[in-house]
Amino acid sequence: MLMMPEIIVILTAFGVLVLDLFLTERSRWILAPLALIGLAGAFAALYMTPLHEQMLGGRFVMDPVAWWFKVVFLLSGAITILISMDLLNGKTGVRIRGIGFRGEYFTVLLFTITGMMYLISARDLITLYVSLELATIPLFVLTAWRRDDARSGEAGLKYVILGALASAFILYGMGLIYGLTGSLNLDTIGHALTPGRNAVFWLAIAALFAGVGFKLTIVPFHLWAADVYQGAPTPVTAYLSVASKGAGLAFMFQIFFRMLGPWIPDGALLIALFAASTMTLGNTVAIVQHNIKRFMAFSAISQAGYFLMGFLGPSSAGVPAMLFYMLVYVVSNMGVFTAIVWFANETGREQIEDYRGLCRTNPLMALAMMVALFSLAGIPPLSGFVGKFFLFSIASQAGFHWLVAVAAVNSTISLYYYLRVVRQMYIEPGGEDARALPVSRKLALTQAVLLLGVVFLGLVPGIYESIHADTASWLAALIR
Amino acid sequence: MMNFLAAHAPGPTHWLFLTTILFSIGLCGLLTRRNAVGILMAVELMLNSAAMNFVVFNRFCVPAGVDGQVMAIFVIAVAAAEVVVGMAIFVAIFRYCSTIDVSKMNLMKK
Repeated sequence: MLMMPEIIVILTAFGVLVLDLFLTERSRWILAPLALIGLAGAFAALYMTPLHEQMLGGRFVMDPVAWWFKVVFLLSGAITILISMDLLNGKTGVRIRGIGFRGEYFTVLLFTITGMMYLISARDLITLYVSLELATIPLFVLTAWRRDDARSGEAGLKYVILGALASAFILYGMGLIYGLTGSLNLDTIGHALTPGRNAVFWLAIAALFAGVGFKLTIVPFHLWAADVYQGAPTPVTAYLSVASKGAGLAFMFQIFFRMLGPWIPDGALLIALFAASTMTLGNTVAIVQHNIKRFMAFSAISQAGYFLMGFLGPSSAGVPAMLFYMLVYVVSNMGVFTAIVWFANETGREQIEDYRGLCRTNPLMALAMMVALFSLAGIPPLSGFVGKFFLFSIASQAGFHWLVAVAAVNSTISLYYYLRVVRQMYIEPGGEDARALPVSRKLALTQAVLLLGVVFLGLVPGIYESIHADTASWLAALIR
Repeated sequence: MMNFLAAHAPGPTHWLFLTTILFSIGLCGLLTRRNAVGILMAVELMLNSAAMNFVVFNRFCVPAGVDGQVMAIFVIAVAAAEVVVGMAIFVAIFRYCSTIDVSKMNLMKK
């Protein structure tokens, strides 16, 4: 059964929701492990799913690219559940009010994962649109989860209004595409669509790009990110920064490679300009931030700029590079966020200055956070460097040497502001009464696994090679 | 009378003008409204104009199929879900802010 992973995730979601009704408040801790087991089951089913097959008359397709995206979504969902557990169970150093409702929280989280998994397998506009909304609408709910925190509600309000605006643009663009081609099937659209001197075509592409740029936080459409990331509960911010971005990238794959495949090189200069402005703005604004979640929001915006470079390559040569960098980005960003979630749980603070002296009180956590930050900046032995190297080489093969130069300068700038956090942890003296903060076993284990991923994803050559081997055959089907 | 109406039946261009104008009114409302519920209504207008696009194209470009109409029904359902979530968030905000004026939502502006 091709749809088994998605069905398992949905059943787990409903199971968690129903079980929540029958449990007492003391025994509700069991819901998180159950959700994790569900995700593990979905991963096992995904592992056994045959590739290159389709169902529902070709509306749901399983191919290597979809497979790797689903791995990314399941992985980031599992990590999010792991780092949410302490907060939702109330096992925090300071009392954090207004969060709870574990059954509903995990249900809603599992729904967004399902939506993202359907998104990359969809092959017609209806499935694409509905799964995009299934991935997005629960995120609005999660963002506004803290009922007594005005900032969380405000973030939810901004996200829901701008998210609906983005989906209206996507829908309008889809409508025009349907009018141009008379079909809802992505592959048929891809064959029928020709740009020419057609104003409607460019209007449709502009509307679609604006909508998807919102999801991926590409620069003129990034304004929601900072406020939403800051206001959302910290584990949700972590999820937003990786999975929502992954969904945006998946949606972009569907639009660019399925519908516009042969025409990407015509718009390459435009993509390069968007990439350059996204990384430059994200990096320069991150320098002046003081709130660590807001800081990570701008860091995530700049990372979106690096992702865009993968679309420049000849035909779809950038696909393996983008998929590999997505995997690396999930592991590195989640590594940073595990430390942020832990610190916020124990102290209730989220300013960068609050991290001073952390290496003396909690040396291991400080080290893990530093390594993850260095991976995001792209320091050589770590996986972030390898991922960026492949993306940069795609851009340089396409002849965009100036973009590679811009990206290299941006990496240096990003190193500067990531080092601001490291400086607070390692150089600034801690307070007089600084004491070691307790680290729960779950968070320590999560952080250790992520740290191994950050170090070894880049060093083990087999991972990139297997992504490349899997997705290289995907390219052939698309080029006509 | 009926003959007059039949002779002046709106063509695809008229319908597309209508949807474009609806979309623009929605966008304009979204940019100028300060009440969050008003903004949500404006977004609804945009979503509905986009859904109408599908029906119009279905009627005039591929009259044999029903794909566009099916899409429009899905859009209506999804838009309802979006509004429900939006209204729930507004109610939660109204509880502690006693306002849903979006120009007062600036807690994080530092």
